[in-house]
Amino acid sequence: MTASPTFTINRRQILKLAAVFGATATLAACSGPSLGAGAGAAEVAVTDWTGIVPAKEITWWSNHPGTSKLIEEEIIKRFQAENPEITVTLVTAGANYDEIAQKFQAASGTNSVPDLVLASDVWWFRYMINGQVLPLDDLAKHLEFDTDDFNKTLYDDYTFTGNHWAIPYARSTPLFYYNKAVWAKAGLPDRAPKSWAEFDEWAPKIAADGGVTPLGLGKGASWAAWWFCNMLWGQGGAYSDEWTMTLDTPEAIAAADYLQSLIYETKVATVAAVDQVADFGAGLTGCIMGSTGSLTGILKAATFEVGTGFLPEGPEGQACPTGGTGVAIAADRAPEQQLAAGMFLKFLTNSENTAYFSSNTGYMPVRTSARDGDTMTRVYAEFPQFRTAVDQLETTRSQDWGRVFVPNADKELTTALEKIMLQQTDPAEAFAVASTAIATSFDQNVSPYL
Amino acid sequence: MPTIEDLQRDTDSAVAVAAPTSVATPAPPRTFNARKKKKPWKSWLLFLLFAGPNVALLIVFTYKPLLQSLYYSTLQWNLGSASAIPVGLGNYVAWFTDPGTARVVTVTLIFTVATVGGGMVIGLLFAVLLNRKLHGRGAARTIVVAPYVLSGVAVGLLWLFVFDPNFGITAALLDAIGVASPPWYNDPHWALVMVIIVYLWKNVGYVALIYLAALQSVPRDVLEAASLDGASPVRAFRNIVLPLLGPTTFFLSITTLLSSLQSFDIIQAMTRGGPLEGTTTMMYQIYEEGFQAGRAGYSSAVATILFAVLLVVTLIQMKYVEKRVHY
Repeated sequence: MTASPTFTINRRQILKLAAVFGATATLAACSGPSLGAGAGAAEVAVTDWTGIVPAKEITWWSNHPGTSKLIEEEIIKRFQAENPEITVTLVTAGANYDEIAQKFQAASGTNSVPDLVLASDVWWFRYMINGQVLPLDDLAKHLEFDTDDFNKTLYDDYTFTGNHWAIPYARSTPLFYYNKAVWAKAGLPDRAPKSWAEFDEWAPKIAADGGVTPLGLGKGASWAAWWFCNMLWGQGGAYSDEWTMTLDTPEAIAAADYLQSLIYETKVATVAAVDQVADFGAGLTGCIMGSTGSLTGILKAATFEVGTGFLPEGPEGQACPTGGTGVAIAADRAPEQQLAAGMFLKFLTNSENTAYFSSNTGYMPVRTSARDGDTMTRVYAEFPQFRTAVDQLETTRSQDWGRVFVPNADKELTTALEKIMLQQTDPAEAFAVASTAIATSFDQNVSPYL
Repeated sequence: MPTIEDLQRDTDSAVAVAAPTSVATPAPPRTFNARKKKKPWKSWLLFLLFAGPNVALLIVFTYKPLLQSLYYSTLQWNLGSASAIPVGLGNYVAWFTDPGTARVVTVTLIFTVATVGGGMVIGLLFAVLLNRKLHGRGAARTIVVAPYVLSGVAVGLLWLFVFDPNFGITAALLDAIGVASPPWYNDPHWALVMVIIVYLWKNVGYVALIYLAALQSVPRDVLEAASLDGASPVRAFRNIVLPLLGPTTFFLSITTLLSSLQSFDIIQAMTRGGPLEGTTTMMYQIYEEGFQAGRAGYSSAVATILFAVLLVVTLIQMKYVEKRVHY
């Protein structure tokens, strides 16, 4: 037997459906953003902090960079011992900066917004134009933060419209890691190459005598376009000049050409399938550019002695970007909450806790006094590799707006670099596609909110 | 056994009983009062009591977000921002004119066809195999179905290592027969093949389970009769079993299609849509645009398009495919 159910819908069913949708549409219209171009950060009200009593409970969203949950809990314990009237709740709000940012943005306008949140190099600006974070200068002045002691590059990374929107916390830079055993086999001096030109001279020896692929490169979002700053800036190029993309300049193209030549011409570099740090730790590659935040992990995991050095120079000199995360205070909280959050932030980033955090994770000491203090001096003595990372800090510069301030820009740049590295696409072609997409994103997602 | 005459007599008597009723008492015209009598306020109260909570949940968690998403798709809205700019159909125009859209649609189509088609075929084969009286059948059934109940993220992370071209099991096995591991993570095409394999591994147990239940309800006497009439096992399967599995196939075609088009966890755990966006399906694009890029309006437009596609495909299945199903 064959059934022949017919799918029909009559007038009454249409009316019922319309009624349900009408009712829910009414509900739907009751929520969501207000219409019209918002001024974002400019709309944040100025608070007079005098006379405000700090709240008793605050919440901090973190992903515990550098597996630092225990370190963060210890700092909270110390803070609560000094300020027993304030309780800090530490929330694991994601596995990485992106997940934290996704939750923070999704929580906007609800009562689930935390008082403090991690604000990474590619996210803080978006928080700012969305009006989600508080400008910190007035609060820092009221709480007498010693902001002059912060490393200037790291502190000024969070500057826009004359305000600071976050305080540096778990900050990192790329660092050159090399396998000392391989270096020795290849008869190379025990140091990183000073320049890419020198690396070009060394690479054949590393491959022939060291028996490994000389250089491991990483791909993927939030990573490839970060370390490529070194090659790009070293050639005299940049992703952008403020909001204008500059990937069509001869310098930018030369940087990408050089990257491509390492893989396809001289064949001294390989793109890691999953994790370039794991490949390096397993002895598959002779050297990598990794984050300073990976330092402790690499030293623990490697079965050989690991050397560190500055990123190699390009024809135009030394070039190293900053990265990692700062901590911001949510704008959509009561002044009492913000004041208590500010008190904790001051404590979290004071000299002693900065040194405590850095010595246990490998992240940069963001304060000069912490960098030169006893705790870090002991760390440098035990792990000389750490000293290299800290010294390199003096050569860093803030990242190009065209990568870190425009939504989707990092993804577009990553795709362009992956095309160059994995498919041997013409750099000019790959960069043109990325530049157009980033410029469109700026027009649509940034410009109306500035 | 009833004879033809008996059946005819029974039918005639049934018509004889039914006929006077239909002729003598024609249905009264349905007036407002008549409806009111059929559904007094107590019935409504009962209806509200039982259906109300479900309807309320559906409205709040399904229809409201659906309509909200439709509304957001007409906005230029950065996720997290308190304000947005109305752009009408701008986001839809942007998606349809984006040079990357063709790639996303192609990836979605390949992934869906491979996982739905492959899943149904492999699942049916497993079901047929597990329906036979084999030694260790119980254990085999458990093994086939077990991956389905595992978390997608856990499965993705596990297979991330399995496919590692340097340290993974696949590389070791291929190496043993002198074949180099494909660049699973650095080539967009191989990456798509990889996530399809993992998706099938995880979900084929579900198809096998449903088909197995259906196979066990196929009447044995029909198969025995076919056998007595000289039909080969293959012919009996093709002409008797498969048609009888029609309702199950129809049900599975809808559920696995919906599940495949909404797949996210394995892609997120293994490739994050890469490399070169080679595993970015429409579902993954919704996440990427909404939460990574923060383009909530654009993301909602893609979500609405995907919803429309799902709705149309399901309606087509219900209208045309179901007619061919034998119950």
